[in-house]
Amino acid sequence: MKRSKGGGDEEAPRQNGSASRRKADQQQSDGDEGGSDIGPADLQDDDNDQGLRREIRSKYRDLISSVQQNREDMLSPSNNKLTEVLEEANKLFKDVRQAREAALDAQLLVVATDLGKEKASQLFSEGTAFDPTAFAEHLLSFMGLNRLEDDEDEQQTTANGYLPQDAWHRLARRAECCFRTAPSFHYMMGSFYAEPPPPKQRIERQRKAPSKEAKRIMPTQLKKMEESQQEATEKEVERILGYLKSYYQDDPTSPISYYEFVIDPSSFSRTVENIFHTSFLIRVRKYLEVKNKIKQCFHVSAPVEEGEVEAGGSTSRKQCILSISPKIWKELIDAFEIRDSIIRPPNTQND
Amino acid sequence: MTQRKRPSSTQSSSQRRHTGNLVAQDEDDDVAFTQPSTSQVQRGLEKLTPAQVDQKTAEVVQYFLVKDQKKMPVRRADLVKHVVKDYRNIYPEILKRAARTFDQVFGLKLVEIDPKNKMYILVNNLETPDKASPIRSPSNPKMGLLLAILSVIFMKGGVVRENLIWNTLKKLRVDPGEKHEEFGDVRKMVTDEFVRQRYLEYVRIPHTEPIEHEFRWGQRADAEVSKAKILEFMGELHEQDPKTWTQQYREAHSLPNSSQASTSSSSSSQR
Repeated sequence: MKRSKGGGDEEAPRQNGSASRRKADQQQSDGDEGGSDIGPADLQDDDNDQGLRREIRSKYRDLISSVQQNREDMLSPSNNKLTEVLEEANKLFKDVRQAREAALDAQLLVVATDLGKEKASQLFSEGTAFDPTAFAEHLLSFMGLNRLEDDEDEQQTTANGYLPQDAWHRLARRAECCFRTAPSFHYMMGSFYAEPPPPKQRIERQRKAPSKEAKRIMPTQLKKMEESQQEATEKEVERILGYLKSYYQDDPTSPISYYEFVIDPSSFSRTVENIFHTSFLIRVRKYLEVKNKIKQCFHVSAPVEEGEVEAGGSTSRKQCILSISPKIWKELIDAFEIRDSIIRPPNTQND
Repeated sequence: MTQRKRPSSTQSSSQRRHTGNLVAQDEDDDVAFTQPSTSQVQRGLEKLTPAQVDQKTAEVVQYFLVKDQKKMPVRRADLVKHVVKDYRNIYPEILKRAARTFDQVFGLKLVEIDPKNKMYILVNNLETPDKASPIRSPSNPKMGLLLAILSVIFMKGGVVRENLIWNTLKKLRVDPGEKHEEFGDVRKMVTDEFVRQRYLEYVRIPHTEPIEHEFRWGQRADAEVSKAKILEFMGELHEQDPKTWTQQYREAHSLPNSSQASTSSSSSSQR
């Protein structure tokens, strides 16, 4: 706006000058354009013309600024101010002679039509109109506005009441129903405990493996009599098997008392070792069967001959955990009156 | 010059195509990136082990997930330049696998929100709940503000002048001129952050003095936000039947996918 004003004031004399020159030229020509009333009166109107031009331009600028300043006002459907502006512009346009004013007229038209477009869009909803102010009020209630007359509350100067701390969170939670936002990637900040696979499967696999190993290892044991660390356990098991067999040969019918078999009254640690080695034989179930689990005393039946091995797993498999402490060990020795160990302690070579 | 800079051997086919595009290769990576054809993808796949392809797919998935934390859309050019790199000749296959991973593992949908500039976002593929979730997980208050703004824009026909938004926010005790205790610089958040996230569009209106802008729904909003649900919310607030807003109701319930961005799975040749 400021630029156009300055330009207008500078250019006005020039334009008038050229206009007056044009008029002078027209005067000299013998009435080329029939319609132009050229006479001495026009030369006098030069000054008035200048004034009139400026007036027209200033009126246009006024109209333009009024449209821009009072935009909200003009938008309201309750008045016809926009139409009045356009009628005013129409009146002015009759006196427009030069490009300068026409340009301002065009500018006014642009601004007015812009406003007109917005007014038209107000008629958008054929149903109920939507009022943002009412919407804001409803939203405040939704967010939990406490409409109390709180005199101490200095922050809210314009409106009544105050919003709770979680006002916007309430709205955000409601928003989750309307949005299909992807949940953001974030760390769980906690441990992740994975459940092991169903235990039954595991047990089966475990039971199968050692039996296979035991079968495989046993024959090689017979071939190689070397002593290596890895085979120490199997060697021990073999040895104990030997004791078992010799015991069985002496008395084939009666079962062996488990505790009598494994306990070494002179050494607790050796007892534990014996229990450990015997458990292999029990697990394999090829040489020992545990029967009669009465009062924690296992009677061991005769070892099965090597030809009559059952394939894999057949009858009921039971597991039991045997615990022994020096105290219990002593009690067992007293209870069973064990004086000698059936399983001789191993040679000192391996120790 | 720029050709020598490019990595060698595995890109023979794309290099040959790019002999004409030596200028501005780094800036216009996307313009230079032409979609490899199906046969080229096939050949590319043959040269790689399945483990390599899976690894690259996993990297793409991770890139997307991290970018999604800030809700910024992913540009294809960035994806190719930073993640896909040497594997750009099998790019469509990688993207297809990544989309499948998102769908089957995470329940997310990979959506192309801008077919021209090739930008992607992640959207929740699961059904939105009817009521707020009973789990009190931390919510983002910005979403509340966004809901308010999007509602106004939608109810007002899809375009509003910025002043209407600012005035409405003022009535909600959020003044863009002041620093808000929850949101901070509100004006910046609305006109910059929401716009970059593609929730809103903030466009200058021509011929306005002083300069004014108008707000519209952004591409992400089109893909993520359900107009029907917003109308439902309006009905609750105003205690009216959503159908009383006939124009908006029609728009919300017309073609459910017409206003939403096309999904990436629909057009395999235009990724």
